[in-house]
Amino acid sequence: MSSQVYPKDKEILPGLQIEKVDDRIMTLNVGPQHPGSGHMRIIIKVDGDYIVHTDPDPGYVHRGEEKMAEYRNYITNIPHLERPVIHDSCNILYPYCLGVEELLGLEVPERAKYLRVIAAELNRCVYIEYWLAIYGIFLGHSTMFMWPVGDRELLIDLLDKMTGARVTHAYFVPGGVRNDVPPNFEDVCLRQVNYFEKRLKEYADVFYDNPILISRTKDTGILSREDAIKLGTTGSVLRASGVDFDIRKKEPYDVYEEMDFQTNVLKEGDSYARSKIPWLDMFESCRIIRDALKKMPKSGSVRVKLKPKPKGGDTEVYRRVESGRGSLGMHIVSRGMPQPYRLKISVPSFRNLIAMPHLLTGEKLGNMPAVYWSLNYWPVEADR
Amino acid sequence: MVDDLVTSKQSKGLTIVDQINSHNANVFVGKLGDILYKAVDKPLGMALNWGRLWSLWPVHIETACCSVEFGAASGPRYDVERFGIIEAFGSLRQCDLVVVQGTITRKMAPRLRLVYDQMPEPKYVIAMGACAITGGLYFDSYNVLPGIDGILPVDVYVPGCPPRPETLIQGCMLLQEKIKRMKPR
Repeated sequence: MSSQVYPKDKEILPGLQIEKVDDRIMTLNVGPQHPGSGHMRIIIKVDGDYIVHTDPDPGYVHRGEEKMAEYRNYITNIPHLERPVIHDSCNILYPYCLGVEELLGLEVPERAKYLRVIAAELNRCVYIEYWLAIYGIFLGHSTMFMWPVGDRELLIDLLDKMTGARVTHAYFVPGGVRNDVPPNFEDVCLRQVNYFEKRLKEYADVFYDNPILISRTKDTGILSREDAIKLGTTGSVLRASGVDFDIRKKEPYDVYEEMDFQTNVLKEGDSYARSKIPWLDMFESCRIIRDALKKMPKSGSVRVKLKPKPKGGDTEVYRRVESGRGSLGMHIVSRGMPQPYRLKISVPSFRNLIAMPHLLTGEKLGNMPAVYWSLNYWPVEADR
Repeated sequence: MVDDLVTSKQSKGLTIVDQINSHNANVFVGKLGDILYKAVDKPLGMALNWGRLWSLWPVHIETACCSVEFGAASGPRYDVERFGIIEAFGSLRQCDLVVVQGTITRKMAPRLRLVYDQMPEPKYVIAMGACAITGGLYFDSYNVLPGIDGILPVDVYVPGCPPRPETLIQGCMLLQEKIKRMKPR
């Protein structure tokens, strides 16, 4: 990504105006091998301790998902489409399945809709736990790596029971879910989720009320409400800046409108607020899972039978869902073939990455890790 | 089976003295290496390898989605530190193990080679995941290398997409078994 791609808007991107490099300014390459996580490079120019120019350089994991989808049919597309975010694989398949169902005119069974909601919310928690663990590593807080990674295994066990795989579930298929849950799943799920929620409350003591964390993240990388909307950020970044936007509430899909939950909004817009929103979201996910378990029909089919190579009409669909990082959309163009003619994935990570030069410029170099990972950005997904 | 695996870089014709006296080592280090080689070769060789195999330091380079399972392997449930593999470390000058975590794209390949070249000898490579072995799911993608054999000498292949942490741990233990049987370098 070069600086010419950006619009020349002095309000939005103040740091990119600097072109003359004098003796005071030093260029630093952060990545692609760095002690944090994520395989991307940020080219940073520093004046003393202050960042004067930030140029993110993604694309180290560009694997051509969109092109590959054009020569695989609608069902065989499922495994490789979940690879960009394997720890959030249910949520990245969600818009694809919703889109293909609309394309083929499928009616999803009621029980499958609830199972989808449960799997998606469990997976959101698994994603956020991993994200939180890496945030701990970024700030040099090893306990915050160990706790979430350990608690995450509880939910991975549940998903393992449900789908048969640790992280790459491929559970969602057009027309429902791949298989039904085992007989005693409801009780186990309820017990695990209740324990998980109890553990979540303890994170406040070790992480969120920790004075060192607060001093490192409070008032760093402030994104105002107007800029958050202007730059097109989504998900927790947008909600931390005071915008109440959650696709589960605004455009409910499947059975989310029947679920009892709220969206968390904070007004500060700094790194601390951005790190707190996903944690608060996990409590809401636990609420949704309990609610869905209560309302789910106890029996019934979970999948519509499909023809071997279903063909779509001459139309196009766009569906989006709220993933662990924000709005995730898929645009499927069909030309009456078993394969999609074009598949465009609109990923939240890339949209949040656009805010990075705006946030980092003017910060101290030491605040870079805290701001960078608080953007809820997963490089593999951004590169697709 | 392990004996077959032990076709190390040693068998390619380079003696230890050649390796130490290569063009990038300076004269003093070369002389010192000579003396060390004579003193340490047979008697302390086994001790050297023993020390190496219980403190493998993987370099923190994440190349694709297998890093999620690598992270889980360092977590409290699987805890690779029990087997002498330390949690991934930032500074590559102090590391001796590269775990190639998944897909290598055309943009990443030169950087991966650069990281490997900058690490001090002896160094070992584990190819983790189907993508690092053959290209895996992305065998027909325009931007993905069909395996990392072309750019790095791989010691152990760990299959899976992604491999479970248990599989990765077994791969690490195979590598330790291999180091035990290696000639000391």
